[in-house]
Amino acid sequence: MNSTSNIRSLLTAGWLQGAIPPILLVALILIIELAAPGFLSGETLMLLLANTAVLFILAAGVTFVILIGGIDLSIQAVASLASVILAQLLPGIGMAAFPVAILGGLLFGILSGYVHVRLKVPSFVATLATGGVVAGIALWLADGRAITIEEAGRENTAWINGTVAGVPAVALIAAVIGLVAFFALRYTPFGRHSLAVGAGEPAALAAGINVPRTKIIAFAVSGTLAAIAGTILAARLSSGSPNLANQLLLPAIAAVIVGGTAITGGLGGVARTAVGALIISIVRIGMTFIGINIFAENVVFGAVLITAVAITIDRSKIAIIK
Amino acid sequence: MTADIDNLKSVRGAARPSLIGAARRLTSGRAAPLLVLIALCVLITIANPSFIEPRNLIRIANSSAVPLTLAMGLTFIILLGSIDLSVEGSLSIAAMVVVLLATNDANSNHFGWFAVVAAIAASTAMGFASGLVQTMLRIPSFMATLGVWFIGLGISVYMLGGSAVRLMDPSIRDLALARFLGLPLGVWVALGAFGLACTIQYYTRLGRHIVAVGGAEDLAELSGVNVRRVRILAFGLAGFFFGIAGVLAAAQLGRSDAVIADGRLFAAVTAVVVGGTALTGGEGGVINTLIGVLIVTVLGNGMILLGVSPYVQQTVQGLMIIAAVALSLDRQRLQIVK
Repeated sequence: MNSTSNIRSLLTAGWLQGAIPPILLVALILIIELAAPGFLSGETLMLLLANTAVLFILAAGVTFVILIGGIDLSIQAVASLASVILAQLLPGIGMAAFPVAILGGLLFGILSGYVHVRLKVPSFVATLATGGVVAGIALWLADGRAITIEEAGRENTAWINGTVAGVPAVALIAAVIGLVAFFALRYTPFGRHSLAVGAGEPAALAAGINVPRTKIIAFAVSGTLAAIAGTILAARLSSGSPNLANQLLLPAIAAVIVGGTAITGGLGGVARTAVGALIISIVRIGMTFIGINIFAENVVFGAVLITAVAITIDRSKIAIIK
Repeated sequence: MTADIDNLKSVRGAARPSLIGAARRLTSGRAAPLLVLIALCVLITIANPSFIEPRNLIRIANSSAVPLTLAMGLTFIILLGSIDLSVEGSLSIAAMVVVLLATNDANSNHFGWFAVVAAIAASTAMGFASGLVQTMLRIPSFMATLGVWFIGLGISVYMLGGSAVRLMDPSIRDLALARFLGLPLGVWVALGAFGLACTIQYYTRLGRHIVAVGGAEDLAELSGVNVRRVRILAFGLAGFFFGIAGVLAAAQLGRSDAVIADGRLFAAVTAVVVGGTALTGGEGGVINTLIGVLIVTVLGNGMILLGVSPYVQQTVQGLMIIAAVALSLDRQRLQIVK
């Protein structure tokens, strides 16, 4: 009897912890609506969704890696490389440029995973290094310049910038990717294995889980999603450049953590990341909406980031906070 | 325990007689980064003898000054097992303060060397803020310092009004322009920072406590180490070094702007890691980092001398990090690699 009530209290506590990020999200929307009425209009919300899409896709990829207890610092370079490949190939091979760019991301994701698992280099260093390799390749391919997607290529990217039934296509793409990632984590052996590896690698190994394979797949997913984000970004900006996504790495990781996924791994998921990405981009857009000095925006963003993490993070599963 | 590990080592070493195994045995342990550095120097000298000319060596020393000072501070944080992403924020705060308080072309201040003290104090305060946020709000250093990075960068961009301000105080500019015994004064400052960091790590209680906390935080706490105080002090100390680096950077460039700190975080982390300090904490130290900084700078200098395309340099550096870390990791201590 006593033990069942213990379990029940644990469940409610866990539920409460999981509910904090969405509550914060709603609170933020209300605060901005109060400070600048008109924020809660359909048009602004559609803009918000469209602007969150790229960040969310990047963050969803890196969620897989953070869940296994690693980190992927190469996503910005992979996304930039994908944008360069897309911009260069669109005039020549048309729509086929998309799969080529995304395959490039898959390839470098597997490379990161391979370096991490087979050479036993910690993921922070491994992906820092592969990120450097990829950034160099992107610079070399693009000859150090930004490549504009000309009129001929833009025909093939128009569908990304369009809307379907009033909803921006990018938001729909992000939603589909989010759903696939969500179900992959929840209902496939790979997803369960990822959580197990992140929660306790020795136990996962002892239970017979193929840890190296699980890790390499996680990095491959991260690289693929980063490349998809890069192609969408290139289509939206009509340009591919070796440093197109450079400002997105840390916000993406921040989105994962603010959403409530533990940076130590084993706890969290893609749904939380979606909430985290929305929080990050609402803060960004909200600052413009309220009219904060553009030079001071980073100060507010940093302070909100710290506050958000302090509120949303689940400390019960982290023994030592490093 | 130690004997067990040694046994394991010899067994594993013997079981792998391949060429890679031999290379790993040769390079495993503490001397690996030094061997990498020496090998690099020899290879570059063979390819282009002008590498070894005094003029080029001074150039290498000069471009190592800021990364070395930055990496000194970062080493203590990584020794703790944490990470400090606020490097660029703290550095740009220090550079902004020194430029705005010393003689400059944006306002009529000329506080001279007081500006330098204020800059280092400001950056130290940023470090303490990181430490306090991390320990008091109990959030991982990764996120705490990420926030402080944005705050620091934001404040400095706001104060500079988004433009570049020139530093015109001649005595501070002398850090980059004047020379003592053939080396720019900035290099001596960086060497002084290195000496200070060595002293702190090897001869003070704080230094030993940092290594103890990084090695095993729970054990350190049980042994009576005040972990919170050690963490806060370490972050403050890191901020102090970032402040010195910021002053050096402003003196070298002769101005401060929004992008003065761009790319310095990853360069500093690379140097610390290539030097052999483990990101898991408790292993390595400031001497490793000195070698790491030199490896990175020599590699960059060598690639310029050899005429490697600047676009490929990043790629080569990435491959270099993988090779250095993969060769020098002590795998017996790393059953689980994260």
